[in-house]
Amino acid sequence: MSKEAPLSNAERDFILEALREDVRLDGRNPDQFRPLSVSFGDEYGHVKLQLGKTSLVVRISAEVTKPRDDRPFDGLFQINLELSAMGSPAWENGRSNDLEAYVTHVLDSVVRRSNALDTESLCILKGVSCWSIRADVHVLDYDGNLTDAACIAIMTGLQHFRRPDAVVRDGQVIVYGVEERVPVALNITHKPLSITFNSYNEGKSIILDATRKEEQASEGELVIGINNGGDVCFLSKFSGAPVDPMEMVTKSTVALEKVKEINAQMEKAMQTDLAKRAKVGMADLSRAENDR
Amino acid sequence: MVGPTASLSNLSRSDGSASYKCPATGYDVLGAVNAPIELPARRDALKPEEATVEVFVKPGNTTAGVGERHVEGILRNVLSKVVLGRERGFPRRGVVITLGIVGGETVDRGDSYLTILPALLHTSLLALLSAAVPLSMTFSATLMGVDKSGAIITDLSAADAKAAASLHVLAFTSKNHLLLNESEGRFDFDTWEQVRERALSICQDMTTPGPDGDVTMGEEADGSRPEGFVRETVEDRLYKDYSWKIDSI
Repeated sequence: MSKEAPLSNAERDFILEALREDVRLDGRNPDQFRPLSVSFGDEYGHVKLQLGKTSLVVRISAEVTKPRDDRPFDGLFQINLELSAMGSPAWENGRSNDLEAYVTHVLDSVVRRSNALDTESLCILKGVSCWSIRADVHVLDYDGNLTDAACIAIMTGLQHFRRPDAVVRDGQVIVYGVEERVPVALNITHKPLSITFNSYNEGKSIILDATRKEEQASEGELVIGINNGGDVCFLSKFSGAPVDPMEMVTKSTVALEKVKEINAQMEKAMQTDLAKRAKVGMADLSRAENDR
Repeated sequence: MVGPTASLSNLSRSDGSASYKCPATGYDVLGAVNAPIELPARRDALKPEEATVEVFVKPGNTTAGVGERHVEGILRNVLSKVVLGRERGFPRRGVVITLGIVGGETVDRGDSYLTILPALLHTSLLALLSAAVPLSMTFSATLMGVDKSGAIITDLSAADAKAAASLHVLAFTSKNHLLLNESEGRFDFDTWEQVRERALSICQDMTTPGPDGDVTMGEEADGSRPEGFVRETVEDRLYKDYSWKIDSI
């Protein structure tokens, strides 16, 4: 099977008819996200995110490599998303599909090319060595709106991640282990998130955070990448039915509000986790008893 | 020793799933099974009377490479022997097993993949059980190392495995037959024989019925042995799933 089971006509009509009356299958408002929960793993930068029934794991990792010849001052940053049969039986292992290419493109534009992670701060020694940061997205369950979920998880992961400290001494690069020196946080310039809208009934109803079934019934998609300050760094209307330009303006206000809300929630979750870690670390260091 | 932790059926989209965490090596593996599933044409041409077992290993923070392909081959060989691919509804279909390494250290390129093999084997077995795929038997596996002085080490960590002279992964069926033997490094046959005996005593199920049908109880708690561990995890899950029925009795 290489295609998601299509909606039946009756189901599609039901969704559309309900949306005409401003009702969604799960009873949400048009501008409401599904419940969003986030948890952190043992390592830094290990984020498990659950958005309704869509769930994914993001792992951030760092290694020292040689910078590219044309950009000797820049470190490397790469987002890697591979859809496997774990997320949905419709996805084939080891073979990319349209969704994968599309989501990768959006994530790349919103997070990487908007310079959310300051790659210049990743440089250790000009033209010789730099950090290469890699974000791996593992989709565990797919129930619509993969783009936004992955974007939130990657941004949270980048803020949560700590890379080992590295210094240059006499032209030699020394990388300190996590035990030797306190690992350093990455330099995040701004926090952009993507917000996806789906349009129905000739653009009359536009909803946020569509589930898989709502996505299948949708006639067009509008993705807005926006940060806390209200700077739009990505806007796309790839295909499907046209959307009124005025809608794009009003929806970007909605997107801004959502981004602020989500960023605040993620910040809070992260601070709680980091405080917990700090406590454990301190308790361990200030322990007076000997190991017998 | 702290035993491994596992839970079944935690994903909603796949037919069966299991998560498994090995305390010694720190690997956290998530497995999903889709079976029986329609495969794209031509892939079943070799053995049309059987189900095709496909295994996919997805490393945590690298792209899959030669090491993953190698371990996928080992897993496929073992699991196609265990899965009853001729049962009703299975011939010409696929049993797709996806294993994601979602926690723990990364196996670097060129490092031995044997350290993670037992975790992968246990995860796939639990996921297959969760998906209710017909199996001819269950199995359990263990990783053993022999250090330079010739002493056998169990419960290896990643650092221990790097220092060991040879590494062995052995899997035994629920009937205590040797199912898989993968070894790496320099060792002689006597050492291997000792490793096998030790591995068998680690893996072997203490509650297998004796020849007279009685269940001999081991002195150790069931959950500390891999075989008993698999059994216990599945029992726990069944107890939870059928709590409506059990409570009403």
